[in-house]
Amino acid sequence: MKKLISMLVTVALAVTSVFALAGCNKADDGFKVGAIYINSQNDTSGYTYAHHKGITEGMKKAGLDPAKDLFIVDNVPEDKEKVKQAIDQLAGNGCDIIFGISFGYIDAFEEKAAEYPDIIFSHATGYKSNDKNFNNYFGRIYQARYLAGIAAGYKSLALGNNNIGYVSAWGTEYAETCSGINAFAMGCMAVNPDAQISVYEIYTWGDQEKERMAAETLIDTYGCGVIAQHCDSAQPQIVANEKGAFGCGYNSDMTNEAPDAHLTAPIWNWDAYYATAIKAAMENPATFMNTVGNYYEGLNAGLVDVSALSKNCEPNTQTSIDAAKKLMKDGEWDVFSGTKLVFDPASGSFTKVEEPLKTNDGTEIVGAGGASVDDGVIQGTMNYYVEGVTQVNN
Amino acid sequence: MRKYHLVRRADAKLKRTLLYYAIGILASLLIGAVILAVLGVNPLEYFGKMFTIGLVGNKYGYRQIEGLLKNFVPLLITSVALSLSFKMRFWNIGGEGEFLAGAIAASIVAFQVTGLPNFVTVLLMCLAAMISSGLIGVAVAALKVKFNTNETLMTLMINYIMLYVIKYIGETKADWNFFLQEESDRPIFGTFPQSAFMGSIPIGKFSLLWSVIIAVALTVIIYVYLKYTKHGYEISVVGDSSATAKYAGMSVGKIVLRTMFISSALIGLAAALAVSSAGTISDSITNDVGWTGIIVAWLSKLNIPAVFVTSFLIEVLQYGCQIAASQYPAIDSNYANLLQGIILFSVLVADFVANFRVVRKEDAKNA
Repeated sequence: MKKLISMLVTVALAVTSVFALAGCNKADDGFKVGAIYINSQNDTSGYTYAHHKGITEGMKKAGLDPAKDLFIVDNVPEDKEKVKQAIDQLAGNGCDIIFGISFGYIDAFEEKAAEYPDIIFSHATGYKSNDKNFNNYFGRIYQARYLAGIAAGYKSLALGNNNIGYVSAWGTEYAETCSGINAFAMGCMAVNPDAQISVYEIYTWGDQEKERMAAETLIDTYGCGVIAQHCDSAQPQIVANEKGAFGCGYNSDMTNEAPDAHLTAPIWNWDAYYATAIKAAMENPATFMNTVGNYYEGLNAGLVDVSALSKNCEPNTQTSIDAAKKLMKDGEWDVFSGTKLVFDPASGSFTKVEEPLKTNDGTEIVGAGGASVDDGVIQGTMNYYVEGVTQVNN
Repeated sequence: MRKYHLVRRADAKLKRTLLYYAIGILASLLIGAVILAVLGVNPLEYFGKMFTIGLVGNKYGYRQIEGLLKNFVPLLITSVALSLSFKMRFWNIGGEGEFLAGAIAASIVAFQVTGLPNFVTVLLMCLAAMISSGLIGVAVAALKVKFNTNETLMTLMINYIMLYVIKYIGETKADWNFFLQEESDRPIFGTFPQSAFMGSIPIGKFSLLWSVIIAVALTVIIYVYLKYTKHGYEISVVGDSSATAKYAGMSVGKIVLRTMFISSALIGLAAALAVSSAGTISDSITNDVGWTGIIVAWLSKLNIPAVFVTSFLIEVLQYGCQIAASQYPAIDSNYANLLQGIILFSVLVADFVANFRVVRKEDAKNA
């Protein structure tokens, strides 16, 4: 239809010429940060929210203004072509460092890092890197999960109920989920040696209905008194609150959502990484892979932690958590080793016991007194549950 | 109680239509500007970036054009293909599903047929995609011809079936699943061997994909096909009235089957070009062209040259919105989608108002 064509062309041309001049005044050459998000920066909780908060706070620590120096392409699915286009757009905007927060961005980042050697590419949760301008980053969240496990262990003793539930996105398919479950279970058993951890797998990273249903099943059918979680929303905690149970959230302090149930949550402080990475890239991008490199830090760098204990926690929880945290911060002890911490609930203090690390079918992973498993196992190849863990749905 | 009627304007004038379109677009931009201002963004600056797809002051402008064209090709071919079936009043809303079927077929060839020259591999991918998508189209058309089933429902369902097929492939790690990368513990789609990549003509730093040339050529061919061939004439007669077509001795069933095959095969071709340009497949590979294509076809009144222009403008709008949104941390892609929606809606309303008017019943009688 001729009318439509000529009309649209006219408008497009007119508007272009009128506004083209207005668009060209962002030419300052300061340091610019690019980010590619799986959801939106305007989320109010969850994974993207945590990273966006980390990037903006990290930028402020590095003396940058997120309102002016941050460029974001949001709602980018794990689709190589779409990620590549997002990177092209950020590169075109003059970004000096580009962060990608989702695992599936991995190949696009690898390819584009080779194409744009002057830009630093930094990819969360991945395993690829090069030696010039492409790193990966993640954190020892299992350390924080161990600490949350201590709080849950105290609660189970007080309740006289050894059954503890765990709503998990995935189980042994991913090292990220099963290392979290194992660390939490070991924290529970360090306080309550009889604790039994029942895992309900929901087969998706986030689905409020399924998270809710899983928590209900764990409480009603399996009699769990404490519910931990590795999934996006606060639904498991809300269910625990409704049913008079207790729980440990994830990603953010969920005490607001579940005031009478929530104990403490393992949380990420992503700004610890983002500030480090941005400062290093501003100082000298050429040495980024030496100064920052592939980043895998934990309690020591402040990247992971547990949220402030709520009023629902039992006495001595804080003392025990602080003691375990200090050991891990100082590098004296780590979760997946041949040495176990045994807490005395009456005083909160601990003793070290040399005991092998075993899977729930009895296979020995680390001998008594042995050193921790490699980081590669925790990040990539762990595919078993430790003693005391059972998956209830399969 | 008064009754109101819609009456098609007998006096629809080009000038007035244009004016209404302009008012519609300006009104939608104004609404968008108010939202931007509330969010603390200068609307003039934002729209400037949007309509120039962020090219001003862009370090890698040629990359943005490449990206734009990569998205434009599947949208153009799909819109042309949908216009073909809509002309026959066959409501094919299964563009998404037909696209995915083509994408899967082309990817099978890309992953499994190795060692052939680049040109041959891509050609085989296109053929595989066209045949698989075409057969889906024919199957639905056959049900319609034979049992008079509702093609809107049938094609709609195909979208969901194919979406879950591709999701299943993308999330299932298994020995048979050659779509996925072997070295990754988490399921993730693999990259095609180099021989399955779409070739391009380098023009300085810019590289023009062959798929762009193929798409433009195809558009011309379909235009000629519809306008100057016996087949094209048959399609429009069937679209006007299948009874007339029967009376004129045309075999309506054959025409419907043939046209649906061509329409869906073209969508399959669009998919093959898309996966070959991307060098991989994903469950978001369609970029929603099966849906957007319907809007393009109707905005263009099923006129092929208009489809060309409209699909280009819509792609500029989509791409421009995204790149403009990327420059303001406060603006996310939801705003970009909202603005596109408002603009498209306004144009449709303007088109309606320009062509129809509301009259009271007695007025209509008097007239």
